[in-house]
Formats: sequence, C-alpha cells, structure tokens
Amino acid sequence: MKLDKEEVKYIARLAKLSFTEDKAERLAEEFTQILSHFQAIDKIDLSDISLELPLDEVKTVLRPDEAKIFENKEKLFKNTKAMRDTYIQVPKIIE
Amino acid sequence: MSLAAMTIEEIQRGLAAKEITAVALVKAVFERIKEVEPQVQGYITLCEKEALTQAEAIDKKIEMSVPLGKLAGVPIALKDNICTDGIKTTCGSKMLADFVPPYDATVVKRLKDADAIIIGKVNMDEFAMGSSTENSAFKATKNPWDLSRVPGGSSGGSAAVVAADMSVLALGSDTGGSIRQPAAFCGVVGLKPTYGLISRFGLIAFASSLDQIGPLTKTVYDSAVALEVLQGKDPMDSTSKAPQEINYVEGIKDGVKGMKIGVPREFFQKGLDPEIAASIQKSIEAYRSLGAIVEETTLPITEEGLSAYYIISSAEASSNLARFDGLRYGYRPEDFEKVEELMEKSRTDAFGEEVKRRIMLGTYALSSGYYDAYYNRAQRLRRKIREEFKTIFEKYDLILSPTTPALPFLCGEKSDNPLEMYLEDIYTININLAELPALAMPCGFSSTGLPIGLQIIGPHFSEGKILKAAYALEKDLNIVGKRPQWKEEA
Repeated sequence: MKLDKEEVKYIARLAKLSFTEDKAERLAEEFTQILSHFQAIDKIDLSDISLELPLDEVKTVLRPDEAKIFENKEKLFKNTKAMRDTYIQVPKIIE
Repeated sequence: MSLAAMTIEEIQRGLAAKEITAVALVKAVFERIKEVEPQVQGYITLCEKEALTQAEAIDKKIEMSVPLGKLAGVPIALKDNICTDGIKTTCGSKMLADFVPPYDATVVKRLKDADAIIIGKVNMDEFAMGSSTENSAFKATKNPWDLSRVPGGSSGGSAAVVAADMSVLALGSDTGGSIRQPAAFCGVVGLKPTYGLISRFGLIAFASSLDQIGPLTKTVYDSAVALEVLQGKDPMDSTSKAPQEINYVEGIKDGVKGMKIGVPREFFQKGLDPEIAASIQKSIEAYRSLGAIVEETTLPITEEGLSAYYIISSAEASSNLARFDGLRYGYRPEDFEKVEELMEKSRTDAFGEEVKRRIMLGTYALSSGYYDAYYNRAQRLRRKIREEFKTIFEKYDLILSPTTPALPFLCGEKSDNPLEMYLEDIYTININLAELPALAMPCGFSSTGLPIGLQIIGPHFSEGKILKAAYALEKDLNIVGKRPQWKEEA
C-alpha cells in the first residue's frame, strides 16, 4: 500500500487539518510504512469470523432518558471563548 | 521512613492507631514534591491548599470518631484526562491548556466519597497517545530510576509520581498498555481492569471501546483497596457492567496452590530483552515453589494484534477528537474569517504531531473504499483474538508474560520513529482488544538497576484471582520498598 502526498492532503481535508508540503510528504512516507505493517492481518484466516452475531456477554446498560437541568450555567460556559448574551459566538456560517 | 513513602495499607493502620495525621501526611508529600519534582516533572497541576484543607477535615473526622472512607487521608494523583470539577484538565494538550471541567468524573466522585485527598493532576502523552510521556504539550516526565530515561506512557506521570513517593496512589488510563507499560518502567503496580468494571464517565475519550481507568500503586494490596473504591456500575456510562461489587482484599492472601498458569511461548521470541526473560523465568520458578502449576502454552496471534489495535484505536480517536473544533471550548486561534478556517486552524495549531498522525490514520481507515480493508478486518481480528483467549482460559486460570519487550529507553530515543514506538505495546495490546483484565508488577531489576515488569492476565472480571496471584509473588520476591536512588541526569 503506497500513499502519496495528494491522498494525504485529501484525508487532511476530511479531518479538518492542514499540513505544509514538506510535512504532507513525510506523512505519506510514514503512512506507507505503517500501512504495510498493517498488512500483517492478511496472514490470518478470518473467514470464519462474523461481525453480525453480537457477543453474548456484551449487554448495554440502559437508564431512563430523563432531561436534567445543569444548574450552574456560569460553570458550564466558563470554557467558552466568545459569548453574546447566552449564546456562543461563532463566525457566520450561511452567506 | 518519610511519611511520603507510606502505602495505603500503612496509612489505614497509622490513622486508625492515631500514630499519624492526614495533615502530616499531606505535608510530607508536598515536601517530597518540592524536593524531587524539579527533576521528575510528573505534575501538571498541584492543589496544595485544597489538599491541606481536606486533610484537616479528615483529621477532624478522626478526632470526632466519624466513620472514615476506605481511602481516608490517602494522597492521590489523577491523570490529566480525568475530569475534575474546578481543577484544570488539560489532557496533556495545547487544545485543553485552560480547560476547567464543570463536573467530576465518576471515579473522582468515588475517590472523594472514600475520603482520598487530591494532590494534583499528572502529566501524560497528549490525549493518551504515546508510550513515553514525551508527547505532552507541556513537559517530558522523567523516569525516577534513571532521569535520562522515559517513564513510559501514556500514564507516565501517574507511574513516576508513585515511584518517586510524590503520591501514594495515582489513576491512569489504559487503551493499549498505558497503565501497565509505565508501571513496568517505573517499578510500580498498575492494574488495567476488565472493560466495564470501572466507569469511564468523565474520562476524556481516546478510543472508547478500549479505554479503561485503573490504579497505579506501590503494592498489590493497595491496588486491591483502590479497585474496591473505583469499581461499580454507573448509569452515566452505558458500557459499565460490573456484575457485582467485590471485596478484593478479602482472600488476597489465599495463595496460589493448585492455580493453573499458562505462559505463551510467543511472548518470549525475538525482540525480548534477555534480562527481562531471565527475570520472568525466576518468577515462574517462584510460582512453582508456591504450589502453582505453570505450563508453556501458545497464543498464536500476538504481533498482528498491534495492527488491529492501531486501526481501531485511531479510527475511534479520529471520531472522538472531532469534537475539538474551537467553537464551544478549547483552543481558539486569534484570527480567522470563516467557520471552516476556525476549525482547521484551531485543530492544526493545537494538536501535537502524534495526535494529528492518529487522526489522519483513523480518518484514512474509515474513509470510503478502505473501510472494509482496514476497519472491518481489524474488527474481525479483534473477535478472533477474543476467541483465542476464551479457549486458553478454559485450560488456565491465569496467563503470565513480560509487560514490555525492552527496559525503559532513553529520552528522545524513539521519538522520531512512530512504528518503533508502537511496537512497545506488543505484549499489552491484545488484552485491551479482548477487554480482559491484566496487572503489571515489578518482578526484578536489570544489571543497570532498572525495574522489570511482569504481567498477569486473567479472564473477564477475574481481578480477584489476578490480585491473589500477584500478592503471592510480591511477597515471595520480597522487592517491595525498594525505591529509586537519585541519579543525576547525564
């Protein structure tokens, strides 16, 4: 599996990251190396393994879905960088 | 002996007999921190004032004979990806450098209810991605046994502060070995419990199907006490499924007579340091002399698990870390125009190299056209590994292995080679993939005086049995109490 710089840039767009040309080049090389190691999985026969069947011991723990009010609003918004009244401020999304 | 060097067991006894006070204990720990923290660099945040206030409250409780929690007066350190109400929780990242959670993680609540005292938050590889604690955005923690070496990771801060007597108990998180590998490197006891035994509510997620919180302690007994406090179902974590709350201390001294222990030969092949192999061999002999039946066995899938792990964990990380977009909290760049630019800039500026690498790897593995080839195959392999362990545990009570293939490496030695760094986790990763419990404990020292770690693996929810076996070996090897000698940085 060989990855080129253009593919790295495409994946970066999907992940909302950006890289310099040099860095993208280096990542392409690293990924080629890492992905070739991943081919180790191909050595193992997995034809008998189905992902359809749920594991018998795994059960989801459920709780009643009740809305609760988080009383301390000030604490909740403490980490917000820009606010106007009770809204979080972000750049214009729709032109 | 300094009070800072005490174990939970000794603190419980000392407080009950009124030989020590919580205040004296906390003061001793902060004195120790002032003395060695400049060299070890284990903490990100210290809470001295709050800790002393809490210690005073506990001493008052003792004075008035109010019943105490199991961890009364015990100084604890928390890995900085565990949310603490009102205390900065950075995840070792520039992204969360000023993040103050509005709530406590369930484990923090449980520790507080047990009267433990929070000393501070400890360093880690950014978002728990790494095996050396060099990926922290703030500092690189050093190994207290040799300051030129790494403490392991990602819970390197947790292991280092316990080894250096800067805390009595520390919490870490383990996604592929992040509690056990640093425990081995720093000569402390680290337990990764069965997936679901401890609530992950309030643990900042790396790979949700693998992450598990666990204790790092000076002794096996302490690990059992901590686990009793931490375990239990939590309505806030739909994957917490502890069948019942168990008393792990009871029966810990029962011994290993008649226990069947398997030693997979695949764990002793190429790449294993001969000193580690020799040390494990000694422990096998010890178990035999204690009456356990130790046999060689086989676990054919070992190395391949590493590939499955990196695909699954990176895929989950790419999705979990999508929430860091600079909008609601976390790092926000100075200038940006459109919302796309805000997201891209904040993520590009604030995530470190390794985090970006994993997000990229995960996004790639999940992208159209590659999903079946990577993610799906990795999930199948994960099931196969699970089945393999199921089969082996029909024959054996426990499995014994080394924790790491090599001794603690030098700072900077592997930072430029991600693949080599990933290989560090070869003995610990499959346990996470199979959601099993495993404990790492010191079993000896190299000729250069570095700790060597042994790993005991058990079936799901067999922590009681694991602790029993670990306790017996710890007593037999008689290495508790050996502390690092301060060696200046080369």
